[in-house]
Amino acid sequence: MAKHRGKGIAAIEYPTGMNQNGDPSQCWIKVKPDGRIDVFAGTADIGNGSKTIQAQIVAETIGVPYDWITYDNSNTDSSPVCTGTFASRATFVAGKAAEKAALQVKAKILEIAGKELEIDPADLEIIDGEVVAKGAPQTRMSISDVAAAATWGHGELITGTGAQLKPYAAIVDPETGRVDSPPHSAISYAACAAEVEVDDETGEVRVLRLQQCYDVGRAINPTQVEGQIEGGAMMGLGLGVLENCYPYYPSVEHRGGAFGSYLAPGMEEMPQIDTILIENPSQDGPYGAKGIGEMANNPQPPAIAAAVYDAIGVWITELPITPERVLRALEEKAAGKHEPRREGKKVVFDEELSVNTVSSGGIRFEVPA
Amino acid sequence: MNIVVNGTAHAIESGPLTPLLDVLREELEITGPKAGCHQGGCGACTVLVDGEPRRSCLLPVAYADGAEITTVEGLGTPESLAPIQQAFVHHYAAQCGFCTSGMLLAAQAYLDGGGTDDPEAIQEALGGHVCRCTGYAKIVDAVAAAARGESFDLTQTAVGKYTTVTTGGAT
Repeated sequence: MAKHRGKGIAAIEYPTGMNQNGDPSQCWIKVKPDGRIDVFAGTADIGNGSKTIQAQIVAETIGVPYDWITYDNSNTDSSPVCTGTFASRATFVAGKAAEKAALQVKAKILEIAGKELEIDPADLEIIDGEVVAKGAPQTRMSISDVAAAATWGHGELITGTGAQLKPYAAIVDPETGRVDSPPHSAISYAACAAEVEVDDETGEVRVLRLQQCYDVGRAINPTQVEGQIEGGAMMGLGLGVLENCYPYYPSVEHRGGAFGSYLAPGMEEMPQIDTILIENPSQDGPYGAKGIGEMANNPQPPAIAAAVYDAIGVWITELPITPERVLRALEEKAAGKHEPRREGKKVVFDEELSVNTVSSGGIRFEVPA
Repeated sequence: MNIVVNGTAHAIESGPLTPLLDVLREELEITGPKAGCHQGGCGACTVLVDGEPRRSCLLPVAYADGAEITTVEGLGTPESLAPIQQAFVHHYAAQCGFCTSGMLLAAQAYLDGGGTDDPEAIQEALGGHVCRCTGYAKIVDAVAAAARGESFDLTQTAVGKYTTVTTGGAT
């Protein structure tokens, strides 16, 4: 009876946004007479930081300080449409709509400033909230003055709109299934290496370290995306060794009875978490960004399962990897049962041991008639 | 019964066995304490009762009769955040925010008790609080920074521990 250490690795790919399903996001921006900027969008910030990210995108695109931006997503009636915060799309799709709207605002600011300064707008740029003549930086006009001139002098509202929509792809060749546009806007990639300690007496699996590597396209706010990855690590750890939504399924009373019977990871389960951000830019996202919100908790469970195999030589093929499952697998291995066998490069699991999935043509549980 | 919440005295009309959480949220409309599990399991309802962190969902208000209660509203104001609140902002220690008020009060009690920046001691002190978003790492970082008495630039987010690798072309 001893504790065994093992290491495992898993890699995944994940599409960003509802590709092929045409999920639009829209954004509307207006500039107040004092040059401060109001952004209206319907993206709900559920803690993923999308308000911050989209405000950053608008500030960067126009060329003004971040704190000039007021981002208003307070209601979906007065705001343009955003289909929602899902499919890892709040930065990738809605952020792109914000970038497009900001580009229109920037063009309008330069147009008004061009009239005021009597300079071709193409010869103007915006630096830190000021319109500056290229090559003649002494000729300049603050955006506050541009917005005031637009409001009180030109009788105009500086505004911009943006929308992002991945059009439906159509199958153009029924024989080959070829489609008329790429099925995905962007694919994110990630890998997780897990280090675990398994107690072969109690069956307990303790995750010691999760080293995670995510292709984020472009880290618009690196600390926030690291926060999402760290959060995903703990969710993935929970899915790997603790959390079971329906422990008694298919019993009618399959749900856990109390809050405490659903084992979400706490601080004491926190392993060493190391994060590597890969900036492998996308073509369609704002500033090359991709979305990693949903994939953040995907690679940990298989990495943990591989690490458990490395530690004690048994494959656990059902999640979560509970002490009961570890001990049962060890007993079955000792009895010579359910040994996965190697066929060339593949590891083949016993039929009975493997979890049937809907895609493999079966379901695991049947409710008695 | 009478309780003092964030320095203001209130006469309580609810029955003596009403959970303190319900008195705060429903009768006094102080909504900083969150009703998470209502079973004492998640920590979101934590308030300080005479300086000690307590699960207000399990505490009958009669037990708090005459006590001084601090909710997150009493820690600081939006214009003048308490140091622990500044630490959470600077270190990006909140995502959805539901656990945050309970975390802040437990952390405040830890600091008031002379807590250090030792990560294991912080995990011990805040271990009963569940957070589903952050993975806890940045919460521990924030409490440790506050324990060291650091000052925080709220216009900047702290730089995390990540390393970045940049590739060439777009995919």
